Amino acid sequence: MTSGQMDALSDEQLVARLGSPEVEAAIARLYDRYCRTVFGVGLKMLGDRTLAEELTQEVFLKVWRSSGTFDPARGSFSTWLFRVTRSAALDLHRKRARRVYPVPEGDSQILAARDDSAGPQEIVDESWLTWRVSRALDALDAPYREVIELAYFGGLSQREISLRTGVPLGTVKTRTARAIQSLREGLALADAWWVATR
Amino acid sequence: MNRPERHPDLTAFVLGALDPEETEEIRRHLTSCPRCRNELEGLRKVNRALDAAPPPVDPPGHLKEEILTRLRAERESHAEYAEPGKPTKPHGGRRLRLLSGAAAAVIAIVVFGILFGLPRAEAPATTVALVPTPEEATGLDGYWGVAKIRPQPSDNQRVELRLNNFDEPEPDRYYELWFASGDRRISAGSFTSVGRGETRVWLNAPPEARSFDTLLITEERLDERASGTEVALKGKVP
Repeated sequence: MTSGQMDALSDEQLVARLGSPEVEAAIARLYDRYCRTVFGVGLKMLGDRTLAEELTQEVFLKVWRSSGTFDPARGSFSTWLFRVTRSAALDLHRKRARRVYPVPEGDSQILAARDDSAGPQEIVDESWLTWRVSRALDALDAPYREVIELAYFGGLSQREISLRTGVPLGTVKTRTARAIQSLREGLALADAWWVATR
Repeated sequence: MNRPERHPDLTAFVLGALDPEETEEIRRHLTSCPRCRNELEGLRKVNRALDAAPPPVDPPGHLKEEILTRLRAERESHAEYAEPGKPTKPHGGRRLRLLSGAAAAVIAIVVFGILFGLPRAEAPATTVALVPTPEEATGLDGYWGVAKIRPQPSDNQRVELRLNNFDEPEPDRYYELWFASGDRRISAGSFTSVGRGETRVWLNAPPEARSFDTLLITEERLDERASGTEVALKGKVP
């Protein structure tokens, strides 16, 4: 199969090739499609670049190892990959936190070692939205994603974005409006319930 | 009757991407435009969703090649197992499969062999066999583990865990390794497993764990308010 033909395969078709001699090409395509989301979600959940890199490695290896358990009839690859990512992130999170439970006899030194950072449930609740927003941003064409990133993450005004990118101000405004509308529609599909409760 | 157009700067207003004078103009506009006021709340929800967005950072370029290198290495080292990626017998959570008495005996022999048959070149390590708890062992297979405990210069206890056929936990569950003594327990960390074949994990326990005489692997629920922790494997520390 040529490189172009591999590019044209769906996520689910690529997963089906993880048990074939084309495994490396298949996992490389899945990596290209999802690495930004997995890494970004890892960074957001774990707050550490090194851990996010470790997470990204573990997730894609686990995709290969566990691909036999993926059932397209039960959900999309993206949803399954989110579960794999969440599970691996929690593992890293817990590995980092030394958790010690109180004991009946009461050992003050052990009790003092309890971890006060965010609990795993809080991390999981947030991570699904993080995943969906990341996928919705990735689905935008580059010029549209750029205006959102410069405005939201870069803190630039529309005028500053126009100056920095050389794109006319009117075009920047149009792209911003369309990008937000696309995000709104994308998120509404799966996360209306979540956004509505914020 | 035509609906009035939404103000072209409304989206940028919500993002906070307008200059001060433009912001003031939008605020004035909102006082007299019900359409834009209605739109505003929907746009603000998207803006709040962006709070959860990951930072726009690409992973380092070398990561992809590292993953492919590890994949190649693991494919070679796992040659004795079924090729990962090929469909295997479906299994949900840590479901136990019935085995024949002969197969159970083979596993017992393997565990015994690891316990007593392997050379102990690394003298400081303590080896612990981990076997299913009695309630679960009756007529059921097929998973077992070996833990090697090695004291570190920091006095922490490094635990190398090798688990065989230890199924992947359900999505809302995970495994946890404990040092236990009577009613007291200290966690050495949590992990997941790969299912069929061998899972290896390395965990750390604090120095206090030295005085504990039992290792437990439990299946924990993500929701810590839920009860029902199950002990899956247990072993006596010599």
